[in-house]
Amino acid sequence: MSIVDPALERVEPVPAARTRRRPPTPSLGGDWWRHLIALAACAVAVFPVVYVASAAFNADQSLGGASLIPRSVTLENFRELLAPDPAKSHLQSSTSHYLRWLGNSLLVAVTTSLLTVLLGALAAYAFSRFRFRGRRIGLLFLLLVQMFPQLLALVAIYLILLRTGEVFPSIGLDTKSGLILVYLGGVMGVNTWLLKGFFDTIPAELDESARVDGATPAQVFWGVVLPLALPILSVIGILSFVGTFNEFVLASAILQSNENFTLPLGLNGYIDKQYAEHWGPFAAGVLIAGVPIMVIFMSLQRFIVSGLTQGSVKG
Amino acid sequence: MLKIALLAVVNAIAVWAGTVLAADEKWVALGVLVAATLAIDLVYLWPRRAIPLKFLVPGTVFLLAFQIAPIVYNVNVGFTNWSTGHILTKSEAIAGIQENSLSQTADSRSFVMAPARDRDGELVLLLVDETDGKPYLGTRRGLQPLDEGVLRLGEFGTIEAARGYEVVRGAGLVQLDRELTAFTVPTEGGAIRPEGTEVALELAPTVRYSRLTDTFTRIEDGVVFRDNGRGSFVAADGTELEPGWRTNIGLANFESVLRDPLIREPFLRVFAWTFVFAFSIVLISFALGLFLAIVLNKPTLRFRRVYQVVLIVPYALPAFLAVLVWRGLLNDDFGVINGLLPWNVPWLFDPWWAKVSVIAVSVWLTVPYFLLVSLGALQSIPSELVEAARVDGGGGWAIFRRVTLPLLLIVVAPLMIASFALNFNNFVNIYLLTSGGPPAEDQSVAGATDILITYTYKLAFEAGKGNDFGLAAAVSIFIFLIVASISAIAFKRTGSLENIR
Repeated sequence: MSIVDPALERVEPVPAARTRRRPPTPSLGGDWWRHLIALAACAVAVFPVVYVASAAFNADQSLGGASLIPRSVTLENFRELLAPDPAKSHLQSSTSHYLRWLGNSLLVAVTTSLLTVLLGALAAYAFSRFRFRGRRIGLLFLLLVQMFPQLLALVAIYLILLRTGEVFPSIGLDTKSGLILVYLGGVMGVNTWLLKGFFDTIPAELDESARVDGATPAQVFWGVVLPLALPILSVIGILSFVGTFNEFVLASAILQSNENFTLPLGLNGYIDKQYAEHWGPFAAGVLIAGVPIMVIFMSLQRFIVSGLTQGSVKG
Repeated sequence: MLKIALLAVVNAIAVWAGTVLAADEKWVALGVLVAATLAIDLVYLWPRRAIPLKFLVPGTVFLLAFQIAPIVYNVNVGFTNWSTGHILTKSEAIAGIQENSLSQTADSRSFVMAPARDRDGELVLLLVDETDGKPYLGTRRGLQPLDEGVLRLGEFGTIEAARGYEVVRGAGLVQLDRELTAFTVPTEGGAIRPEGTEVALELAPTVRYSRLTDTFTRIEDGVVFRDNGRGSFVAADGTELEPGWRTNIGLANFESVLRDPLIREPFLRVFAWTFVFAFSIVLISFALGLFLAIVLNKPTLRFRRVYQVVLIVPYALPAFLAVLVWRGLLNDDFGVINGLLPWNVPWLFDPWWAKVSVIAVSVWLTVPYFLLVSLGALQSIPSELVEAARVDGGGGWAIFRRVTLPLLLIVVAPLMIASFALNFNNFVNIYLLTSGGPPAEDQSVAGATDILITYTYKLAFEAGKGNDFGLAAAVSIFIFLIVASISAIAFKRTGSLENIR
């Protein structure tokens, strides 16, 4: 669930400064202070990441034994994380179910993001292409609804699932399906406006001509509009994936047993009690989950700066 | 065709859910289900009509069920006393009180007991009255006498075997422990309960409920317990019968947030800190982000792209991972930050340092965002404006203050409001770094770094005294109101309500 806020003004995409009056002077001379500041800032920005990468390959698994440059490189931490020694693990209160947590997270995030795109696109298409009674009210309503993040109704969501679970255990507390359903509740409010804005830019003449050729509204939607909107749909899908992957509060209220945990819950519990001892495997876990997402996010950077996400602040 | 197939699936699920609901006698839920299913069928089977609805229904169903309904329900819960000790409905609570009051009296019978399984595998108790030696069978439905000769007794009067029943022994008994503790045989005057695995006692209630007056009366001394209107039966001297039940208590939760010093003090502290937290993150991050953007905003700067990519790293890393890593780095004893510093700073365990830490880590996470938007905004400022100001003799600082910053703020100010609203409820940064701790001196649930949303979470799910859903819901209604005011300002500033096309 990306926190996207179309109510707020766009940052228009800007082509790199066009005016280059003075001839470029590619010397370090006058810019040394810029480089100094930039280098210092970069150091602060990547320090934790470099440190974690080093800890992941360090033979000493404890927090105290970690250092910026690993003393002896090993893959032991990854093995410990992915396949914890059963003989050792029963001694510790918290063992790693990393693959299970990661699997849960992927299942929840992929399902949620796919359905997010579908539900959002359907609603946005109706608001963009049809004029009907209640349309303005509906749009206004969505704008207001998205101002209230779901997590504020946390208590109610918990109690609703608690009581639903008494009748339908498969979507009650401590189920992934229940969590996904809850996430889907937040979909319309967040994405409809964004997608509607994009659909508005697709010329209505395209729809018209398809309609003249005898296509039904459904055929126009699936055959004309969706293919044209594929780029933005994939961006929204990925942002929603990352947002769901990151979500902690609702998941921690709803999921209760270790085997149902998503990655944030699992890792939090994993290092909570034995921070010092589990540091190495934990660092390995951070790398495995963090690096792919980081790469995805970097590749979307263009969209983040541009108007596409309109004040999207990653949660 | 696909449409028909999907509709069929929806209806099939609805029918199945309907039968489950009917079996559970949840008539209101069943009514909602039937109405919703019929409405959906109507929308999709109505040829060439209600076309917009066909597109809107799928998302709306989820929106209503998991966003609107929770918000409404949340408000309802805020007016109740739903909390540990007040979970049940009133009739469940009355039954619970009667059961809790069961205790042994002077003329209680005691039995030699053996747990056994009947032909259907149901748990039953085989009983022999210790005074007159009569055998009985105790089930969940009641006590019935057994024929002589069904039970075979051992040397010391223990029950060895029974015709038609399989006596549970040894390891089976250990596994049965839980089930046996909860097993109650209702009798006329009270109930028979197992004590251990070989003896059962007849217990009698010590209080009696009167439906007519809706009161409990203690049998031994006649003390009357009345419904106090807040979900408990209370005697004149203040003793309460447990459990209580959940009920509407009007504005009591809101009142106690505003009046009760034990709740008001922590609430106000958390409230103020939430503002300080969110405000300082936005301000510091914007200042640093803008500063870095100005440093990098020179097209001819070498390695500019490289710097930019590296500086985005904190933003690109999933926040929960970054915060967990920081928790390790800031660890008192083994953390690398204290390792690098010549002195030891209690980053996460001193109330003030913990506040500094959560702000610093949040700023670390947020600066790249403001760097990105500031860079974009800086480049969108026409360079002619800056040139003109320079020609007019403006110094660097004056140009920045009078020309660049105002233009920049037009674009960035709404994003700052959005970022403020987000950090106002930034659960992950607080909860994963300090869990809201360290604990405050006033012994309340709220720790030194708790913000409103983590405070709500703790009230609801991990308070030491148990869960207080009612109070938590009331606090979250306060957050609703605050967020609503912030949003109203944002709406007004951006005028986005006017241009709904």
